[in-house]
Amino acid sequence: MTCAELQQVLPELIEGEREAELQAHLQSCSECAELVSDLRAIAEQGRTLRASEEPAPHVWQFIETQLRREGLIHDPGTERPFLLRTPTRRWSPAIWFVPVAAALLLSVAFLLRPKPQSTVATRRPVSDTPSAFSTPEPSADADDSALLEAVQKRSPAMTAAYSDNLRKVNNYISDAQKSLQQNPNDDDAKQYLMQAYEQKTMLYDMALDRALP
Amino acid sequence: MQSRRRATRLAITGLVLVAVLAIAETRKDYRFTVGPRANVSVFNEYGPVIVRATSGNQVIVTATVHSDKVEIDNDQSGDRVEIKSHLLPGADSRSGEVDYEVQVPADASVTLHSATGPLHAEKLHGDVTLVGATASIEVRDVANGHVHVNTLSGPVVLSNIQNGHVEITSVGGDVSMSSVSGPKVQVSSTSGKISYDGDFGYAGEYSLMSHSGDIEATVPTGASFDVTARSVHGRVENDDVPFLPKTHTSFVQIPGSSFAGTIGKAASSVVIKTFSGKIRLKKR
Repeated sequence: MTCAELQQVLPELIEGEREAELQAHLQSCSECAELVSDLRAIAEQGRTLRASEEPAPHVWQFIETQLRREGLIHDPGTERPFLLRTPTRRWSPAIWFVPVAAALLLSVAFLLRPKPQSTVATRRPVSDTPSAFSTPEPSADADDSALLEAVQKRSPAMTAAYSDNLRKVNNYISDAQKSLQQNPNDDDAKQYLMQAYEQKTMLYDMALDRALP
Repeated sequence: MQSRRRATRLAITGLVLVAVLAIAETRKDYRFTVGPRANVSVFNEYGPVIVRATSGNQVIVTATVHSDKVEIDNDQSGDRVEIKSHLLPGADSRSGEVDYEVQVPADASVTLHSATGPLHAEKLHGDVTLVGATASIEVRDVANGHVHVNTLSGPVVLSNIQNGHVEITSVGGDVSMSSVSGPKVQVSSTSGKISYDGDFGYAGEYSLMSHSGDIEATVPTGASFDVTARSVHGRVENDDVPFLPKTHTSFVQIPGSSFAGTIGKAASSVVIKTFSGKIRLKKR
Protein backbone atom coordinates (compact mmCIF):
# COMPACT_ATOMS: atom_id res chain seq x y z
CA MET A 1 0.00 0.00 0.00
CA THR A 2 1.30 3.47 -0.87
CA CYS A 3 0.60 6.74 0.95
CA ALA A 4 -1.90 7.80 -1.74
CA GLU A 5 -3.75 4.48 -1.51
CA LEU A 6 -3.86 4.77 2.26
CA GLN A 7 -5.47 8.21 2.13
CA GLN A 8 -8.11 6.97 -0.30
CA VAL A 9 -9.27 4.25 2.08
CA LEU A 10 -8.71 6.26 5.28
CA PRO A 11 -12.31 6.10 6.61
CA GLU A 12 -12.26 2.32 6.42
CA LEU A 13 -8.92 2.21 8.16
CA ILE A 14 -10.16 4.42 11.02
CA GLU A 15 -13.07 2.00 11.55
CA GLY A 16 -10.62 -0.85 11.95
CA GLU A 17 -10.89 -2.47 8.57
CA ARG A 18 -7.92 -3.67 6.55
CA GLU A 19 -5.78 -3.59 9.69
CA ALA A 20 -3.02 -5.82 8.31
CA GLU A 21 -2.38 -3.67 5.25
CA LEU A 22 -2.47 -0.56 7.40
CA GLN A 23 0.08 -1.82 9.90
CA ALA A 24 2.42 -2.91 7.13
CA HIS A 25 2.45 0.60 5.65
CA LEU A 26 2.59 2.48 8.96
CA GLN A 27 5.72 0.61 9.99
CA SER A 28 7.53 2.04 7.01
CA CYS A 29 5.95 5.54 6.77
CA SER A 30 6.21 7.89 9.75
CA GLU A 31 4.07 10.61 8.15
CA CYS A 32 1.12 8.30 7.58
CA ALA A 33 1.60 6.84 11.06
CA GLU A 34 1.31 10.32 12.55
CA LEU A 35 -1.78 11.12 10.46
CA VAL A 36 -3.56 7.91 11.46
CA SER A 37 -2.65 8.48 15.10
CA ASP A 38 -4.14 11.99 15.05
CA LEU A 39 -7.31 10.83 13.34
CA ARG A 40 -7.80 8.01 15.82
CA ALA A 41 -7.40 10.48 18.68
CA ILE A 42 -10.04 12.75 17.15
CA ALA A 43 -12.34 9.77 16.62
CA GLU A 44 -11.87 8.78 20.25
CA GLN A 45 -12.78 12.28 21.43
CA GLY A 46 -15.78 12.25 19.14
CA ARG A 47 -17.25 9.28 20.98
CA THR A 48 -17.47 11.38 24.13
CA LEU A 49 -19.52 14.12 22.49
CA ARG A 50 -23.02 14.36 23.78
CA ALA A 51 -26.01 16.38 22.70
CA SER A 52 -26.20 19.44 24.90
CA GLU A 53 -29.19 21.07 26.47
CA GLU A 54 -30.75 23.52 24.06
CA PRO A 55 -32.13 26.88 24.88
CA ALA A 56 -35.80 27.51 24.31
CA PRO A 57 -36.91 27.92 20.71
CA HIS A 58 -37.63 31.62 21.07
CA VAL A 59 -33.93 32.21 21.91
CA TRP A 60 -32.83 30.57 18.62
CA GLN A 61 -35.45 32.56 16.74
CA PHE A 62 -34.23 35.79 18.27
CA ILE A 63 -30.61 34.97 17.42
CA GLU A 64 -31.63 34.15 13.88
CA THR A 65 -33.44 37.46 13.60
CA GLN A 66 -30.33 39.35 14.71
CA LEU A 67 -28.12 37.45 12.27
CA ARG A 68 -30.48 38.21 9.40
CA ARG A 69 -30.47 41.87 10.31
CA GLU A 70 -26.69 41.93 10.32
CA GLY A 71 -26.72 40.35 6.85
CA LEU A 72 -24.80 37.32 8.01
CA ILE A 73 -27.44 34.84 6.84
CA HIS A 74 -29.59 35.20 3.78
CA ASP A 75 -31.55 31.98 3.63
CA PRO A 76 -35.15 32.56 2.70
CA GLY A 77 -37.59 31.98 5.56
CA THR A 78 -38.55 28.40 6.05
CA GLU A 79 -41.24 26.97 8.28
CA ARG A 80 -38.71 25.93 10.87
CA PRO A 81 -35.82 28.26 11.63
CA PHE A 82 -32.61 26.59 10.55
CA LEU A 83 -31.03 27.17 13.96
CA LEU A 84 -33.58 24.80 15.48
CA ARG A 85 -32.28 21.89 13.39
CA THR A 86 -29.93 20.15 15.72
CA PRO A 87 -28.24 16.79 15.48
CA THR A 88 -29.94 14.24 17.64
CA ARG A 89 -27.83 11.20 16.85
CA ARG A 90 -24.18 10.56 17.44
CA TRP A 91 -22.07 10.39 14.33
CA SER A 92 -19.55 7.62 14.00
CA PRO A 93 -16.02 9.00 13.72
CA ALA A 94 -15.51 8.19 10.06
CA ILE A 95 -18.79 9.76 9.03
CA TRP A 96 -18.25 13.12 10.73
CA PHE A 97 -14.63 13.56 9.69
CA VAL A 98 -15.56 14.48 6.10
CA PRO A 99 -18.32 17.00 6.90
CA VAL A 100 -16.15 18.65 9.59
CA ALA A 101 -13.40 19.12 7.03
CA ALA A 102 -15.95 20.43 4.53
CA ALA A 103 -17.33 22.84 7.14
CA LEU A 104 -13.83 24.16 7.83
CA LEU A 105 -13.25 24.76 4.14
CA LEU A 106 -16.61 26.49 3.77
CA SER A 107 -15.89 28.68 6.80
CA VAL A 108 -12.62 29.83 5.31
CA ALA A 109 -14.31 30.54 1.99
CA PHE A 110 -17.09 32.43 3.78
CA LEU A 111 -14.64 34.61 5.72
CA LEU A 112 -12.67 35.44 2.60
CA ARG A 113 -15.72 36.24 0.47
CA PRO A 114 -16.31 39.87 -0.62
CA LYS A 115 -18.77 41.69 1.71
CA PRO A 116 -22.27 41.62 0.21
CA GLN A 117 -24.43 44.74 0.02
CA SER A 118 -26.58 44.77 3.11
CA THR A 119 -30.26 45.36 2.58
CA VAL A 120 -30.30 47.31 5.82
CA ALA A 121 -28.23 50.08 4.23
CA THR A 122 -31.26 51.06 2.17
CA ARG A 123 -33.15 52.10 5.30
CA ARG A 124 -33.32 55.79 6.10
CA PRO A 125 -33.16 56.80 9.72
CA VAL A 126 -36.05 58.63 11.25
CA SER A 127 -36.69 59.38 14.93
CA ASP A 128 -39.97 57.91 16.08
CA THR A 129 -42.14 57.98 13.02
CA PRO A 130 -41.99 55.01 10.67
CA SER A 131 -39.96 55.69 7.59
CA ALA A 132 -41.69 55.58 4.26
CA PHE A 133 -38.45 54.33 2.75
CA SER A 134 -37.49 51.57 5.15
CA THR A 135 -37.69 47.98 3.98
CA PRO A 136 -38.03 45.77 7.06
CA GLU A 137 -36.50 42.31 7.00
CA PRO A 138 -39.27 39.75 6.26
CA SER A 139 -38.23 37.45 9.12
CA ALA A 140 -38.10 40.32 11.65
CA ASP A 141 -41.64 41.31 10.65
CA ALA A 142 -42.74 37.69 11.01
CA ASP A 143 -41.28 37.43 14.53
CA ASP A 144 -42.83 40.71 15.59
CA SER A 145 -46.19 39.72 14.10
CA ALA A 146 -46.04 36.40 15.93
CA LEU A 147 -45.26 38.21 19.17
CA LEU A 148 -48.17 40.61 18.77
CA GLU A 149 -50.48 37.72 17.94
CA ALA A 150 -49.41 36.00 21.15
CA VAL A 151 -50.04 39.19 23.13
CA GLN A 152 -53.42 39.63 21.42
CA LYS A 153 -54.47 36.12 22.41
CA ARG A 154 -53.31 36.39 25.99
CA SER A 155 -53.97 40.00 26.85
CA PRO A 156 -55.87 41.98 24.19
CA ALA A 157 -55.82 45.15 26.29
CA MET A 158 -52.01 45.31 26.05
CA THR A 159 -51.70 44.77 22.29
CA ALA A 160 -51.70 48.44 21.37
CA ALA A 161 -48.98 49.22 23.92
CA TYR A 162 -46.74 46.43 22.68
CA SER A 163 -47.33 47.33 19.04
CA ASP A 164 -46.50 50.99 19.61
CA ASN A 165 -43.36 50.29 21.60
CA LEU A 166 -42.21 47.60 19.17
CA ARG A 167 -42.41 50.15 16.39
CA LYS A 168 -40.30 52.60 18.39
CA VAL A 169 -37.66 49.99 19.15
CA ASN A 170 -37.47 48.84 15.53
CA ASN A 171 -36.94 52.45 14.44
CA TYR A 172 -34.15 52.69 17.01
CA ILE A 173 -32.50 49.54 15.64
CA SER A 174 -32.83 50.84 12.11
CA ASP A 175 -31.22 54.20 12.95
CA ALA A 176 -28.45 52.55 14.94
CA GLN A 177 -27.64 50.09 12.15
CA LYS A 178 -27.38 52.82 9.57
CA SER A 179 -25.19 54.90 11.88
CA LEU A 180 -22.87 51.94 12.43
CA GLN A 181 -22.62 51.25 8.72
CA GLN A 182 -21.64 54.84 8.08
CA ASN A 183 -19.17 54.85 10.97
CA PRO A 184 -18.05 51.26 11.58
CA ASN A 185 -15.29 52.29 13.99
CA ASP A 186 -17.47 54.58 16.10
CA ASP A 187 -17.83 53.12 19.62
CA ASP A 188 -20.93 55.23 20.24
CA ALA A 189 -22.60 53.78 17.14
CA LYS A 190 -21.88 50.26 18.41
CA GLN A 191 -23.23 51.18 21.82
CA TYR A 192 -26.47 52.55 20.34
CA LEU A 193 -27.03 49.35 18.35
CA MET A 194 -26.35 47.16 21.37
CA GLN A 195 -28.70 49.20 23.48
CA ALA A 196 -31.40 49.07 20.81
CA TYR A 197 -31.22 45.27 20.74
CA GLU A 198 -31.29 45.18 24.55
CA GLN A 199 -34.47 47.25 24.47
CA LYS A 200 -36.04 44.82 22.04
CA THR A 201 -34.93 41.85 24.12
CA MET A 202 -36.55 43.41 27.16
CA LEU A 203 -39.77 43.95 25.21
CA TYR A 204 -39.85 40.32 24.02
CA ASP A 205 -39.05 39.03 27.50
CA MET A 206 -41.81 41.12 29.00
CA ALA A 207 -44.34 39.95 26.40
CA LEU A 208 -43.45 36.27 26.71
CA ASP A 209 -43.11 36.19 30.49
CA ARG A 210 -46.80 36.65 31.17
CA ALA A 211 -48.82 34.84 33.80
CA LEU A 212 -52.09 34.62 31.91
CA PRO A 213 -53.72 31.23 31.43
CA MET B 1 -92.33 66.78 47.73
CA GLN B 2 -91.52 65.05 44.45
CA SER B 3 -87.92 66.20 44.63
CA ARG B 4 -87.63 64.77 48.15
CA ARG B 5 -88.93 61.40 46.96
CA ARG B 6 -86.48 61.47 44.06
CA ALA B 7 -83.61 62.27 46.38
CA THR B 8 -84.63 59.46 48.72
CA ARG B 9 -84.82 56.99 45.85
CA LEU B 10 -81.39 58.06 44.63
CA ALA B 11 -79.92 57.67 48.09
CA ILE B 12 -81.37 54.18 48.49
CA THR B 13 -80.11 53.18 45.03
CA GLY B 14 -76.66 54.48 45.90
CA LEU B 15 -76.57 52.54 49.15
CA VAL B 16 -77.61 49.35 47.37
CA LEU B 17 -74.89 49.84 44.74
CA VAL B 18 -72.23 50.34 47.40
CA ALA B 19 -73.39 47.22 49.17
CA VAL B 20 -73.24 45.20 45.94
CA LEU B 21 -69.73 46.44 45.19
CA ALA B 22 -68.59 45.63 48.70
CA ILE B 23 -69.84 42.09 48.31
CA ALA B 24 -68.06 41.73 44.93
CA GLU B 25 -64.74 42.81 46.48
CA THR B 26 -63.07 40.27 48.68
CA ARG B 27 -60.19 41.11 50.95
CA LYS B 28 -57.64 38.45 51.84
CA ASP B 29 -54.82 38.75 54.33
CA TYR B 30 -51.65 36.69 54.49
CA ARG B 31 -48.80 36.71 56.99
CA PHE B 32 -45.39 35.12 56.59
CA THR B 33 -42.60 35.03 59.17
CA VAL B 34 -39.19 35.47 57.57
CA GLY B 35 -35.57 35.84 58.53
CA PRO B 36 -33.10 38.59 57.61
CA ARG B 37 -32.81 39.61 53.95
CA ALA B 38 -35.95 37.85 52.88
CA ASN B 39 -36.99 37.68 49.24
CA VAL B 40 -40.55 38.77 48.41
CA SER B 41 -42.08 38.55 44.91
CA VAL B 42 -45.50 39.70 43.77
CA PHE B 43 -46.74 38.88 40.27
CA ASN B 44 -49.94 40.78 39.58
CA GLU B 45 -51.02 41.10 35.96
CA TYR B 46 -53.60 43.78 36.60
CA GLY B 47 -53.74 46.18 39.49
CA PRO B 48 -51.58 48.10 41.94
CA VAL B 49 -48.85 46.72 44.17
CA ILE B 50 -47.76 48.97 47.02
CA VAL B 51 -44.81 47.84 49.14
CA ARG B 52 -43.68 49.60 52.30
CA ALA B 53 -41.13 48.76 54.95
CA THR B 54 -42.23 47.84 58.40
CA SER B 55 -40.54 46.81 61.62
CA GLY B 56 -40.52 43.22 62.71
CA ASN B 57 -39.89 40.00 60.83
CA GLN B 58 -43.19 39.48 59.08
CA VAL B 59 -44.37 39.94 55.53
CA ILE B 60 -47.98 41.11 55.63
CA VAL B 61 -49.99 40.95 52.43
CA THR B 62 -53.46 42.40 51.95
CA ALA B 63 -55.05 41.50 48.63
CA THR B 64 -58.37 42.92 47.44
CA VAL B 65 -59.97 40.84 44.71
CA HIS B 66 -62.71 42.34 42.54
CA SER B 67 -64.24 39.24 41.01
CA ASP B 68 -64.18 35.48 41.12
CA LYS B 69 -62.11 35.35 37.94
CA VAL B 70 -58.84 35.54 39.84
CA GLU B 71 -57.40 33.68 42.78
CA ILE B 72 -54.35 34.38 44.93
CA ASP B 73 -51.60 31.79 44.96
CA ASN B 74 -49.12 32.16 47.79
CA ASP B 75 -46.02 30.17 48.61
CA GLN B 76 -43.27 30.39 51.17
CA SER B 77 -39.98 28.48 51.02
CA GLY B 78 -37.76 29.51 53.88
CA ASP B 79 -37.22 33.23 53.58
CA ARG B 80 -38.63 33.39 50.05
CA VAL B 81 -42.24 34.46 49.70
CA GLU B 82 -44.06 34.45 46.38
CA ILE B 83 -47.52 35.89 45.77
CA LYS B 84 -49.17 35.44 42.40
CA SER B 85 -52.50 36.53 40.93
CA HIS B 86 -53.73 33.44 39.13
CA LEU B 87 -56.11 34.50 36.38
CA LEU B 88 -58.89 32.04 35.63
CA PRO B 89 -60.36 31.48 32.14
CA GLY B 90 -62.46 34.44 31.12
CA ALA B 91 -60.49 36.96 33.18
CA ASP B 92 -59.73 40.32 31.63
CA SER B 93 -58.07 43.54 32.76
CA ARG B 94 -61.06 44.49 34.92
CA SER B 95 -62.20 41.21 36.37
CA GLY B 96 -58.60 40.07 36.84
CA GLU B 97 -57.57 43.10 38.84
CA VAL B 98 -56.16 42.63 42.34
CA ASP B 99 -55.03 45.41 44.67
CA TYR B 100 -52.03 44.50 46.82
CA GLU B 101 -50.67 46.26 49.88
CA VAL B 102 -47.53 44.60 51.18
CA GLN B 103 -45.48 45.33 54.25
CA VAL B 104 -42.01 43.84 54.42
CA PRO B 105 -38.97 44.08 56.69
CA ALA B 106 -36.79 46.96 55.52
CA ASP B 107 -33.90 44.67 54.52
CA ALA B 108 -36.06 42.45 52.30
CA SER B 109 -35.45 42.27 48.57
CA VAL B 110 -38.59 42.89 46.59
CA THR B 111 -39.62 41.95 43.04
CA LEU B 112 -42.87 43.33 41.61
CA HIS B 113 -44.46 42.54 38.24
CA SER B 114 -47.59 44.17 36.91
CA ALA B 115 -48.72 45.05 33.39
CA THR B 116 -51.03 47.91 34.42
CA GLY B 117 -49.84 48.74 37.94
CA PRO B 118 -49.17 51.15 39.50
CA LEU B 119 -46.12 49.84 41.33
CA HIS B 120 -44.75 51.56 44.39
CA ALA B 121 -41.92 50.72 46.78
CA GLU B 122 -40.54 52.83 49.58
CA LYS B 123 -38.23 52.92 52.58
CA LEU B 124 -36.37 49.73 51.77
CA HIS B 125 -32.73 48.71 52.18
CA GLY B 126 -32.81 45.59 50.06
CA ASP B 127 -32.78 45.19 46.29
CA VAL B 128 -35.87 46.41 44.46
CA THR B 129 -36.88 45.10 41.04
CA LEU B 130 -39.98 46.45 39.31
CA VAL B 131 -41.27 45.33 35.93
CA GLY B 132 -44.31 46.90 34.33
CA ALA B 133 -45.65 47.32 30.80
CA THR B 134 -47.81 50.43 31.11
CA ALA B 135 -47.65 50.62 34.88
CA SER B 136 -46.52 53.84 36.51
CA ILE B 137 -43.60 53.01 38.75
CA GLU B 138 -42.44 54.89 41.81
CA VAL B 139 -39.53 54.12 44.12
CA ARG B 140 -38.56 56.37 46.98
CA ASP B 141 -36.31 56.42 50.01
CA VAL B 142 -34.20 53.37 49.19
CA ALA B 143 -30.68 53.17 50.55
CA ASN B 144 -27.92 50.60 50.07
CA GLY B 145 -29.98 48.45 47.77
CA HIS B 146 -29.94 47.98 44.02
CA VAL B 147 -32.88 49.29 42.04
CA HIS B 148 -33.84 47.72 38.69
CA VAL B 149 -36.78 48.99 36.66
CA ASN B 150 -38.05 47.74 33.31
CA THR B 151 -40.99 49.43 31.63
CA LEU B 152 -42.49 49.77 28.19
CA SER B 153 -44.39 53.03 28.45
CA GLY B 154 -45.18 53.60 32.09
CA PRO B 155 -43.67 56.69 33.73
CA VAL B 156 -40.89 56.01 36.22
CA VAL B 157 -40.23 58.26 39.22
CA LEU B 158 -37.27 57.69 41.52
CA SER B 159 -36.55 59.91 44.50
CA ASN B 160 -34.01 59.76 47.29
CA ILE B 161 -32.20 56.63 46.17
CA GLN B 162 -28.76 56.41 47.71
CA ASN B 163 -25.70 54.21 47.58
CA GLY B 164 -26.91 51.45 45.29
CA HIS B 165 -26.78 50.43 41.67
CA VAL B 166 -29.67 51.90 39.72
CA GLU B 167 -30.57 50.45 36.35
CA ILE B 168 -33.60 51.65 34.42
CA THR B 169 -34.67 50.46 30.99
CA SER B 170 -37.64 52.20 29.42
CA VAL B 171 -38.90 52.11 25.85
CA GLY B 172 -41.38 54.98 25.85
CA GLY B 173 -41.92 55.82 29.48
CA ASP B 174 -40.48 59.06 30.87
CA VAL B 175 -37.94 58.63 33.64
CA SER B 176 -37.66 61.22 36.36
CA MET B 177 -34.94 61.07 39.03
CA SER B 178 -34.55 63.33 42.03
CA SER B 179 -31.69 62.89 44.53
CA VAL B 180 -30.57 59.63 43.00
CA SER B 181 -26.91 58.88 43.67
CA GLY B 182 -24.80 55.80 43.88
CA PRO B 183 -21.74 54.03 42.57
CA LYS B 184 -23.55 53.25 39.32
CA VAL B 185 -26.64 54.80 37.77
CA GLN B 186 -27.62 53.69 34.29
CA VAL B 187 -30.72 54.83 32.43
CA SER B 188 -31.58 53.67 28.95
CA SER B 189 -34.58 54.83 26.96
CA THR B 190 -35.84 54.71 23.39
CA SER B 191 -38.29 57.62 23.22
CA GLY B 192 -38.95 58.31 26.88
CA LYS B 193 -37.59 61.55 28.32
CA ILE B 194 -34.96 61.35 31.02
CA SER B 195 -34.69 64.01 33.67
CA TYR B 196 -32.18 64.07 36.49
CA ASP B 197 -32.13 66.50 39.39
CA GLY B 198 -29.24 65.86 41.74
CA ASP B 199 -25.55 66.21 42.38
CA PHE B 200 -24.28 63.04 40.62
CA GLY B 201 -22.65 62.12 43.92
CA TYR B 202 -20.95 59.08 45.46
CA ALA B 203 -18.03 59.31 43.00
CA GLY B 204 -20.18 57.16 40.81
CA GLU B 205 -20.55 56.33 37.13
CA TYR B 206 -23.67 57.81 35.58
CA SER B 207 -24.95 56.95 32.13
CA LEU B 208 -28.07 58.52 30.63
CA MET B 209 -28.73 57.31 27.11
CA SER B 210 -31.68 57.54 24.72
CA HIS B 211 -32.63 57.16 21.10
CA SER B 212 -34.95 60.13 20.66
CA GLY B 213 -35.99 61.04 24.19
CA ASP B 214 -34.75 64.39 25.45
CA ILE B 215 -32.39 64.33 28.41
CA GLU B 216 -32.25 67.07 31.02
CA ALA B 217 -29.90 67.29 34.00
CA THR B 218 -30.28 69.90 36.75
CA VAL B 219 -27.31 70.22 39.08
CA PRO B 220 -26.73 72.20 42.27
CA THR B 221 -23.82 74.46 43.03
CA GLY B 222 -21.06 72.40 44.58
CA ALA B 223 -21.57 69.31 42.44
CA SER B 224 -18.41 67.50 41.41
CA PHE B 225 -18.33 65.50 38.20
CA ASP B 226 -16.86 65.03 34.79
CA VAL B 227 -19.42 65.17 31.97
CA THR B 228 -19.52 64.10 28.34
CA ALA B 229 -22.65 65.00 26.45
CA ARG B 230 -23.21 64.06 22.81
CA SER B 231 -26.16 64.01 20.45
CA VAL B 232 -25.81 62.54 16.96
CA HIS B 233 -28.68 64.45 15.37
CA GLY B 234 -29.97 66.63 18.20
CA ARG B 235 -28.67 69.56 20.20
CA VAL B 236 -26.63 69.86 23.36
CA GLU B 237 -27.24 72.96 25.47
CA ASN B 238 -25.61 74.21 28.66
CA ASP B 239 -27.63 76.76 30.63
CA ASP B 240 -24.92 78.50 32.65
CA VAL B 241 -23.53 75.47 34.43
CA PRO B 242 -19.95 76.58 35.19
CA PHE B 243 -18.01 73.75 33.57
CA LEU B 244 -14.32 73.81 32.86
CA PRO B 245 -14.16 72.63 29.24
CA LYS B 246 -12.03 69.58 28.47
CA THR B 247 -9.87 69.98 25.43
CA HIS B 248 -8.52 66.44 25.19
CA THR B 249 -11.35 64.07 24.35
CA SER B 250 -11.67 60.87 22.35
CA PHE B 251 -14.10 62.55 19.96
CA VAL B 252 -14.25 65.77 18.00
CA GLN B 253 -16.29 68.33 19.93
CA ILE B 254 -18.83 70.10 17.76
CA PRO B 255 -20.44 73.14 19.42
CA GLY B 256 -24.15 72.56 19.77
CA SER B 257 -23.81 68.77 19.27
CA SER B 258 -21.33 67.71 21.90
CA PHE B 259 -19.68 68.94 25.03
CA ALA B 260 -17.13 67.73 27.57
CA GLY B 261 -16.15 69.41 30.79
CA THR B 262 -15.56 69.14 34.50
CA ILE B 263 -17.09 70.82 37.52
CA GLY B 264 -15.58 70.80 40.96
CA LYS B 265 -13.08 67.99 41.50
CA ALA B 266 -14.73 65.77 38.87
CA ALA B 267 -15.39 63.05 41.42
CA SER B 268 -18.10 61.32 39.40
CA SER B 269 -18.23 60.42 35.74
CA VAL B 270 -21.36 61.40 33.80
CA VAL B 271 -22.02 60.34 30.23
CA ILE B 272 -25.12 61.67 28.50
CA LYS B 273 -25.87 60.50 24.98
CA THR B 274 -28.84 60.67 22.69
CA PHE B 275 -29.17 59.72 19.06
CA SER B 276 -31.67 62.38 18.03
CA GLY B 277 -32.98 63.91 21.25
CA LYS B 278 -31.92 67.12 22.94
CA ILE B 279 -29.57 67.33 25.91
CA ARG B 280 -29.88 70.20 28.35
CA LEU B 281 -27.73 70.90 31.39
CA LYS B 282 -29.18 73.35 33.90
CA LYS B 283 -28.12 74.97 37.12
CA ARG B 284 -30.51 74.53 40.06
